[in-house]
Amino acid sequence: MSNVIHASQLTLAYGKGEKEVIKDANFSIKKGEFVFITGPSGSGKSTLLKALYGQLKPTEGSLVVGGLDLANIRQKKLQELRTHMGIIFQDYKLVNEWTVGKNVVLPLMIAGYATEIQETQARRLLKHVKLSDHADKYPLELSGGEQQRVGVARALAKNPVVILADEPTGNLDDYSSNVIWDLMENACQQLDTTVLVVTHKIPTIFSLPYRHFIIESKGVYEVH
Amino acid sequence: MKYIKNHLMFILPLMTILLAIEFYLVFDRSTHTYEKGLTEGYSMLVVAKKPVELSTFQALNQHIVAAKQLKRDSIVSEVAKGVNKSTKEAILKALPYFYNLSLDAYLHSSGLEEIKKDLESDPNIKKVETFGSSYKSSYKLFSFIKLTLKIFIVFMTIVSFFLIIKQMEIWKYAHKERMQVMEIFGAPMMLRSGVLFKVALIDAFFSTLLVSAMFFYIKFYWAGTSGIEIMMVNKDVLFKGSDIGILFASAILIVIIAVYSVVFSSKGVEE
Repeated sequence: MSNVIHASQLTLAYGKGEKEVIKDANFSIKKGEFVFITGPSGSGKSTLLKALYGQLKPTEGSLVVGGLDLANIRQKKLQELRTHMGIIFQDYKLVNEWTVGKNVVLPLMIAGYATEIQETQARRLLKHVKLSDHADKYPLELSGGEQQRVGVARALAKNPVVILADEPTGNLDDYSSNVIWDLMENACQQLDTTVLVVTHKIPTIFSLPYRHFIIESKGVYEVH
Repeated sequence: MKYIKNHLMFILPLMTILLAIEFYLVFDRSTHTYEKGLTEGYSMLVVAKKPVELSTFQALNQHIVAAKQLKRDSIVSEVAKGVNKSTKEAILKALPYFYNLSLDAYLHSSGLEEIKKDLESDPNIKKVETFGSSYKSSYKLFSFIKLTLKIFIVFMTIVSFFLIIKQMEIWKYAHKERMQVMEIFGAPMMLRSGVLFKVALIDAFFSTLLVSAMFFYIKFYWAGTSGIEIMMVNKDVLFKGSDIGILFASAILIVIIAVYSVVFSSKGVEE
């Protein structure tokens, strides 16, 4: 299987001359793998995720995602790469002035899909996350768990190659968290999507085989 | 209500800038007309020993556009009334040649001095009279009015720019979240800023329309009946069709700068 993500001697820091958050990290993630990244608060988990979706450029080394080196990527290529990613945030990052239906199809809208296709897909995705009746509501009318399900539906909208999730259940109760884990497991299993989740703690009920990386003292280590 | 308020908060400062631009255009055209009148009404007097051609004057100074020789016969008949013919002929023979010189622009008094110096460098020219003192006072008044209006226009523009910056902050606050989310999912800049551009372009259109309508009214309805002579005389220069293009292009330019500033300052994901 080919590598979807490959990091070599990767160093990440905020700004030149600033303290490094991650130093000389080496790891590879293959297509269809489910990966957990854990570590203490402030260890650099979210920083690594930011680098993976191109929000933070590697200070040194290389970070290749989908065959593109993010250290030297052009803006246009980065935009294209992001259209093949599904990103889930702890604080959902939904557009509050848009309806749930419109939020869900954002990746399709960016890709220029016709309105009819967007509407059909919105219905399908909302049914998938069990929010069929909420298409015309606004995000702030939903509970935290429901908003995160909208976030997951949005991430799945364009069958992404990779899903990056930053503490997706960090603000949710156990029931809502389990729903989210189920959805992500399904995506990985049925769509062969690579899923990379940054979390404090790996869920106890998790049926899929997964890989576990821990970030500690600026290094990224695999736990076997 | 909120929708209208949001639009007005950009339309009003934009209108003020467009008003300043239009004031400048009108002012520039009217002062040009006035300046032309002053230039045409002004001439300097040159006394020469021998006849001088226009090309000779122009070779001495390029600001000279016309040279009108004063009729020597009429001068003699004015000064030598009741004098016999032979004496008249003697006076005519001794009389130098007088020229009224017209200039191409309304120059500063130092410019007049320079012309005088250039003309006097010719040994054939005996005397140059610039009528400097009366010229200087009207030039000073004219320059003062020009400067005052320009300061007013600049001040209006600066205040309006500050108001636009304030509105840009409001835009940033209102559109940042959506633009950042769209950026994360790979939306190109044009798509991210589409909504903002649409809002701003509507505002640019209405601002242009309102300012044009205002000047259109002044030109075709108000100026003619105002009783203000300068307005009635310069009615034609008050508003021109090409001004609509200039105003709209300026509004679009301001909109593009404002929107792109908001888009660029909204890049990156908030923690």
